[in-house]
Amino acid sequence: MQRFINDIFREQAPSQRALLPCFIVCSGLFVLVTLSSMLIGAGEVGATDALSALVGLGNDEANFILFELRIPRTLTGIFVGIALGLSGALMQSLARNPLAEPGLLGVSAGASFSVAVALIFGASIATLTIGMAQLGALLGCLFVTAAARMQGQFKDPVRLVLAGAALSSLLTALTSILLMFDERAADEIRFWVTGSIAGRSMDNLLLVLPYGLVALIITLYVSKPLASMALGEKVALGLGHNPKVIRYLVILAVALLVGSATAVAGPIVFVGLVVPFAARAIVGADIRRTMIICIPIGPSLLLFADIFTRLIARPSEMPLGVLTAIIGAPILLMIVRAKRLPTLS
Amino acid sequence: MFSFRSIALSTLSTVSVLVSSSVFADVTLQTKFGAVTVDDNAERIVTLYEGALDALTAMDVEVLGSISTRGGDGVAQYISDQVPNIQIVGTTKETNIEAVLGLRPDVIMAPYYLSESQYKILSKIAPTIAPNFDRSKSSVWEEETLFFAKAIGKTAQAQRAIEDVHQLAEKTKSQLESSIPAEKREAMLARWMPQGPIVMADYLFANGLLSSVGLEPTHKNLLRGKRPHSSPLSLENLSVIDTDWLFLATLNKDGVDALEAAKSSPAFSRLNVIKQDHVTLVDGQTWTSASGPIAATEIINNVADALLAK
Amino acid sequence: MNHFFPHYQTTAWKIGSRQLNVVIESDAVIRNLILTVLLLGSGILSLSIGTVYVSPDQVIKALLGEGDSMTQFLINDLRLNRILAGIYTGAAFSLAGCLMQNVARNRLATPGIIGIDNAAMAFAVASVVGIGISLSPSHMALVGAATATALAFAIGGGSGTRGYRFIVAGLGIGAVSGAVSQLLLSQVHIDVANAAYPWTVGSLSGRDEEQVPWMGFITLLAVIACIILTRYFRLLSFADSVIITLGQKPNQIRFLAVVISVTLTGFAVAMSGPIGLIALVGPEMARTFAKHKGLPLVSSAICGAILMVLADLVGRTILSPIELPVGIVTAVVGGPYLIWILIRKPKQSSL
Repeated sequence: MQRFINDIFREQAPSQRALLPCFIVCSGLFVLVTLSSMLIGAGEVGATDALSALVGLGNDEANFILFELRIPRTLTGIFVGIALGLSGALMQSLARNPLAEPGLLGVSAGASFSVAVALIFGASIATLTIGMAQLGALLGCLFVTAAARMQGQFKDPVRLVLAGAALSSLLTALTSILLMFDERAADEIRFWVTGSIAGRSMDNLLLVLPYGLVALIITLYVSKPLASMALGEKVALGLGHNPKVIRYLVILAVALLVGSATAVAGPIVFVGLVVPFAARAIVGADIRRTMIICIPIGPSLLLFADIFTRLIARPSEMPLGVLTAIIGAPILLMIVRAKRLPTLS
Repeated sequence: MFSFRSIALSTLSTVSVLVSSSVFADVTLQTKFGAVTVDDNAERIVTLYEGALDALTAMDVEVLGSISTRGGDGVAQYISDQVPNIQIVGTTKETNIEAVLGLRPDVIMAPYYLSESQYKILSKIAPTIAPNFDRSKSSVWEEETLFFAKAIGKTAQAQRAIEDVHQLAEKTKSQLESSIPAEKREAMLARWMPQGPIVMADYLFANGLLSSVGLEPTHKNLLRGKRPHSSPLSLENLSVIDTDWLFLATLNKDGVDALEAAKSSPAFSRLNVIKQDHVTLVDGQTWTSASGPIAATEIINNVADALLAK
Repeated sequence: MNHFFPHYQTTAWKIGSRQLNVVIESDAVIRNLILTVLLLGSGILSLSIGTVYVSPDQVIKALLGEGDSMTQFLINDLRLNRILAGIYTGAAFSLAGCLMQNVARNRLATPGIIGIDNAAMAFAVASVVGIGISLSPSHMALVGAATATALAFAIGGGSGTRGYRFIVAGLGIGAVSGAVSQLLLSQVHIDVANAAYPWTVGSLSGRDEEQVPWMGFITLLAVIACIILTRYFRLLSFADSVIITLGQKPNQIRFLAVVISVTLTGFAVAMSGPIGLIALVGPEMARTFAKHKGLPLVSSAICGAILMVLADLVGRTILSPIELPVGIVTAVVGGPYLIWILIRKPKQSSL
């Protein structure tokens, strides 16, 4: 893919490319996908009906479908896409590891586990407490970064991912223990663990939005120091940044983003891997440039996958998490098959 | 190091177990794993299937041990009063084979989904009968009841129990038909999931009973092939569950709360069936997990209570 | 990572001069004898404890083919088979883990973590929920493990440096398999999903006893192979250039180790379902006993067997009459241990 894109813009390396045109192209894509997401669905309301509803001329049925279902769903998808894309970029920059991804590193598993705990203690998934998912994500995040730092695994991309996979498998096992004793929870969570943005009400989204905004502010604040940290901690220190503080802020932002996304959508793997990968292919490895491009690309990918899930098994829907796994796995392999694992500068 | 001796010993003990239990055999049943011969004087009975427990209890036959129901640590609530002394020998997920052996059963009544490896072991403890009927018929519970009854020589009692259910159904049917007009009898059985309801297939146990009392269960063509239930329904298509009567199964109290929360969602509350309050919450243990004459009676009574009052 | 312990140097030179004798260390022999005694002890303990109480003298009688038929059946058929299954699968998982860890030089790299278990699980679940396949779940698990391995090799393009490409390919395949299993489970009636449950957590209850001798045979074969090949596998702790200088081919050694590892895992998963944590904890325990010297492959196998037998004993008895699958017990017991491995400070002795 890298080579393919290089062929198109043969004269320039990605890092030399002007940011603005790239951003505009990606945003155009984003608008296109968002519109399609509102117009295409598993139900009987077709694109033309939905379009007329969008401009205020629709019938009751179309209005309902559009405003009560598809727009909240699309907005949820946009939020989840941005959150997962950004968190992937942040984690990869922090770990200097192109494989660092919330799903692979066990952060999503942490969120799932705490949701299962919440279910056991009586909270229904429909009225799921957002806080539990965020707490789980934070713990998972802290844990895996602590583990990685203790073992000096930041230097070795695959070791970090292995630590994450070990954490994931442990949490999955613990989740199945909990579920063994609670059949209702078991029955509900077997649908939840596949991850989906279908049927999410605006209420849930509004609940997590403040956390998302906090995370965004933190992200803005840390983007410059993170870029200098990429040149080495001494450089960052020389520029007056405290790497330790920055690191904790990044972890906090990642936990907020992944926790919020998981709380509304369930675990959706590989979006955090694929989106920054694509962004780097377009504008190069600079974290600020990557993150700016992640913002339109994340939702585009997520909504694109989501539209697919609506059409593939009509009139029912396929779980989104399964589809992103199928999309993401080849990208993972592609990154690794590169002759040398790229280290992020 | 153990293996050769163990094989020799196990063969020996297998033969002895089989011989000791099959000397007085006089009934041969076609089971999922071929013909199995059972001594119909069996007194010590273990059931690993809720349908068998229900059938035997309906015939006043004592069952020594059974598995716990889904979502509970004992047998299903609707039947627990009638079998106070029953011993639990496992869950729907895993059978405790030693506990089964400890009860020294004469016959083991297994579910249709028993795996072959489990069968191989259980059949060494006692003749193990797993029914193997076409599950795409809602009347499969009648065949299973007769199947289990035949194994213990109680066919007459089983026929009577089934006949009782038919009579109750007829009675309820005539009552319902006099109070509900013919074009208002469409019914649907679904379970509420956080992602949306899942619609149960029309051939399942409870749906068969709904049609026996004159309702018209439907899955609105959501199910292709022999799938037992749909995937969680897209909320865009929620209008398909807008039937005349909706039965929503939940597994316990928390499920009821979840449903109450869902009812307030706009996609749900705009349905006619909600507006008219034609939604009946039913016990998932009885409606979607159990089968047999007692569960059938319970379900028909549920329907009568809910619909005749409205 | 290239700590040249004197111990390693001696071994290395022996191989360098292409001696054909198997290096036998008296330390290791004594260690393995002690471990074997421990294993026998746990086996005997496990034979006499269970839902049904059998007194020790009756156990011995039953083993000798005396006593009443029910006790004989209980001891010789149910418990002995189950314990043997536990010993074989435990040894297989643990040995496989030790080999893979050695290849990747990372104590977290086990076949389970990199997705072989997940793929086997997905195939077994597919068989249970009946997606038009007539093979039994255990055969499907084997097919799944083989498919995942073949895919990982094909995609990774061989084992690669330190087996990394293979590992990451496995991680990807594992993630997809996990998602597919979840999808399959959400499509069927909950009763059928429950029937697939032992395949998702790992359990020794009611396993097909005809497989037990086969499993034993394969495990034994692998252990013998490892005893013969240990001296090559030990080389993997050196840099590739050193191995080449010593006249060996690092990629071939890695490939051999990975093949033995995934074969063992495939058969073990087909027998008991995924019980991945044994592969982490067993070798760790063996390394502790070996004081972090050498490559304790045989000890790993015995430690894994002990762990599995004891974990299954706990699972059978702790909540009686309801049984806990052994996979659940290993997760509860092994989990904290795994966390400890993850966060403790690295020592020189760590892989």
